[in-house]
Amino acid sequence: MTTFIVRRLLQLPIVLLAISLLIFGMMQFLTPTQRAAAFVKSEQQAQHLDLVIRQYNLDKGFWVQYGTWLKEVVRGNLGYSKTSHEPVLTTIRKRIPISAELALANFFPIMAFGIWMGTMAAIHRDRIIDQIVRVFAVVFWSLPTFVLGIWLLAVLYGHYKLFGIDRAPTDILVAFARGDLKAYTGFITIDGLLNGRWDVVWAGVKHLVMPVLTMTLVASAQIMRVLRSNMLDVLNSDYVRTARAKGLPERVVNLKHARRNAIIPVVTLGGLMFAFLLNGIFFAEVIFNFAGLGQWSVTSAIQLDFPAVIGMALLTGLIVSIANLAVDILYGIVDPRISFQ
Amino acid sequence: MKKHLLKILALGLVGSMAFAATGPDTYVQMTYGEVDSLDPAQAYDTASGAILENIYETLYTYKGESITEYEPVLATDYSISDDGKTYTFKLRRDVLFHSGNRMTCRDVEYSIERLLVTNPGDSAGWFYAESLIGYDGVNAKDYFGDGASQADLDKYWQAIDDSVQCVDDYTVQFHLIKKDPSFFVKLMYTASSILDSKYAIENGEWSGTKADWYDWAGKDLREGFLHNHDAGTGAFKLVKWAGKDVIAERFIGYWDYANKPQMKTVIIKVVDEQATRIQALKAGDADRITVNDRATLETQIRGMANAKVLESDKWLGAAASAVFFNQKIAAQDNPMIGSGQLDGNGIPADFFTDVNVRKAFAYSFDQDAIIQDVYLGKAVPLTMALPPSFLGYDPNIPIYNVDPDKAEEYFKKAYGGKLWETGFTMTIAYNSGNTTRQTVAEILKQNIEALNPKFKINVKAMPWPQFLAAYKNGQLPALVLGWGADYADPDNFIYVFYHSNGYFAKKVGYANPEMDKLIEEARSITDPAKRAALYSKVGRLAYEDVPVLPLPRPTGWMVLAKNVYTKGAPAGMDVYNNPMRSGSFLWKDIIKK
Repeated sequence: MTTFIVRRLLQLPIVLLAISLLIFGMMQFLTPTQRAAAFVKSEQQAQHLDLVIRQYNLDKGFWVQYGTWLKEVVRGNLGYSKTSHEPVLTTIRKRIPISAELALANFFPIMAFGIWMGTMAAIHRDRIIDQIVRVFAVVFWSLPTFVLGIWLLAVLYGHYKLFGIDRAPTDILVAFARGDLKAYTGFITIDGLLNGRWDVVWAGVKHLVMPVLTMTLVASAQIMRVLRSNMLDVLNSDYVRTARAKGLPERVVNLKHARRNAIIPVVTLGGLMFAFLLNGIFFAEVIFNFAGLGQWSVTSAIQLDFPAVIGMALLTGLIVSIANLAVDILYGIVDPRISFQ
Repeated sequence: MKKHLLKILALGLVGSMAFAATGPDTYVQMTYGEVDSLDPAQAYDTASGAILENIYETLYTYKGESITEYEPVLATDYSISDDGKTYTFKLRRDVLFHSGNRMTCRDVEYSIERLLVTNPGDSAGWFYAESLIGYDGVNAKDYFGDGASQADLDKYWQAIDDSVQCVDDYTVQFHLIKKDPSFFVKLMYTASSILDSKYAIENGEWSGTKADWYDWAGKDLREGFLHNHDAGTGAFKLVKWAGKDVIAERFIGYWDYANKPQMKTVIIKVVDEQATRIQALKAGDADRITVNDRATLETQIRGMANAKVLESDKWLGAAASAVFFNQKIAAQDNPMIGSGQLDGNGIPADFFTDVNVRKAFAYSFDQDAIIQDVYLGKAVPLTMALPPSFLGYDPNIPIYNVDPDKAEEYFKKAYGGKLWETGFTMTIAYNSGNTTRQTVAEILKQNIEALNPKFKINVKAMPWPQFLAAYKNGQLPALVLGWGADYADPDNFIYVFYHSNGYFAKKVGYANPEMDKLIEEARSITDPAKRAALYSKVGRLAYEDVPVLPLPRPTGWMVLAKNVYTKGAPAGMDVYNNPMRSGSFLWKDIIKK
């Protein structure tokens, strides 16, 4: 087990190096002027385009640019992001807690709701519950997240004045900025707890409701469908029939024997989904104004913010690799038959 | 039990949500576009300017809505020497910086010299350098490249050092290299904000001496201390800006305590999604929001219970844009001009040098259609490429509008009649998403192709980086360009658009010696009436010569919560709107009723 983890961790730097080379290479298809366009916001600045190109070494060769970049990265400097107006590493560090809080808040409801619906649908196959779940899944799976989010925003927030945008109400954000409340972790809910302020925790939770509702409605359908089809297979297998024949209660058969065996693909899916969530849920972050990684990575990609794009790519590589590792370990826990030898 | 718990949770979430508008002394503005830098010497965009104008102050500033009347801020009085080259300012006493330090002449000297020393390529430093030291407005590192001798550098430093001098603790003198009627208004731009020199030096900024000046030349100031720290005297001080939202609060030690701001806390929130901003306004969480386009304004904002839309046809902004005719198109590998010959399959590189072609294009340009299609009827046509609120704008100059007969007449005259016989093919490009550029291109295409079946104009969409590259390489035959004012002097527009050395005119190869003479003359005198007369002449000559075709200016609007007003609003208006203020009005003037 330990050797397995160590070996997988040793592969990480190679993966990251490959990603950086790939992205760096693709950026070279642009001319220095096109890359400099990212730095120019007005006619006045376009006036000095040549200076901008020289200032940022945009006219040097591939290996020179890559070499300088790599040397800096090894020193812990991922460069300066034009879109966030600060060093890339600072931005990532600042935005990870925001995306992580959102990801965690989303992950458990999505998984729980998806697994619950999947189980219900499989057990009640072709009966009314199954039909309802199916319609639900089709409707929300085909509804664009963006549309659902804006619709919830307009109805719940704009019309009924419920919940709220951003991570917390303005006065709490100001209190954090002023230092009246100390930001220990960057998670609003946990920081509220550490500051001994239940109202802050509560406000943080309330502001998570809309994004979580949006994502849960949309993303749980996927989990549900995978679990349902797997569970149907398992429910038809011999050992389930044997268990039933032994006279085990229906509940134990379904949840302990059938579901545990059907859940392995859900674990795979869940791991990737968590990585995806942690990378920043772009729609939710934009609509509900969370200053997370998703919002930043999309803006920086549009504006050709080179250091930010490559920084995000490295982070994504890191998150996905670790999530995959976690999934592999989870297999062993869920299914003792899987070994790491 | 479980069910009860859920119910309680649900009740709690909803119940405690009793709707609260922003507090009576809190002002929340939601906009898009992030602040670039809070270092006055680096910032050169409106998002940054809107913050800087409130946390920093300049020596003089614009009075209320006016851009031709001024009032003293950190100075109390000033005088100009007879030769127009020395400006002497008496400074206000008892002004405190946010750090508690007292402002003296040393701070003024430091601030302006720092601007000249650093002057990064993407900053506003160039127009101060042009007035005070010359060197093409470029910082020492970029001016000399790698080949600077010690003597060159010493001379450059000496020029900076000589340009700003302290006569005593409360008197400062600026020495210009030549007469510059716009120098005084240049000093109102945020780049020339007065910094707390002691505080800046203590925190690792330029030492203010010759010792390390060259290390700071051309430096990207976004990596420095002042990028996200405030060293100003303004009515508000920065609480925090961590790359996105800006939070500021009233400064207790503000010198003008008689005009104490009503707002205690100001929050400028970056909310990129327009729908989210609109819902926040509706929910009462925002006092002012940015609405990008008139269509949204009309369909979604008007009629909202707790919001108001303010507008005026005087709100035309301090900007101008125009259609440019490129008189020296880069011919090499340029698909935009087809064959590059006057053979019906392309246009020659100097196609637009014939004034008849320019006039024919001008008579094919439907101003009314632009006003209707792009601005839904809310725009004002311009007689010249100068904002109407500026000195010298002449409303009596005629305006070109669509006229097929005249267009045909000039097309027939062009190139001795050859153009009408052979026809031409050209491409007008626009950057995707820019509806103004797109509509202009399509209107020209429609009207010109209708005149003669041999005329062919292709309209092409390009992504912004490609468009900018094509523009920079001079490949675009005709295009729309806009200029926003740096400072409220007509020269900032007229020179750029019409002088053969001006940024735009040079780019498109326009040169008319008579025009240059008028503009240079207006540059060298200070009497406003005489200058206005000269600019009027420029406008008339530009009508005859058509180097550019000014576009109509859309009238501006503001979307505010119902209870937001400002001090100093003109009669009948809720707020004032000064085109030279990035935020239209200052935070210290906000009143909530």
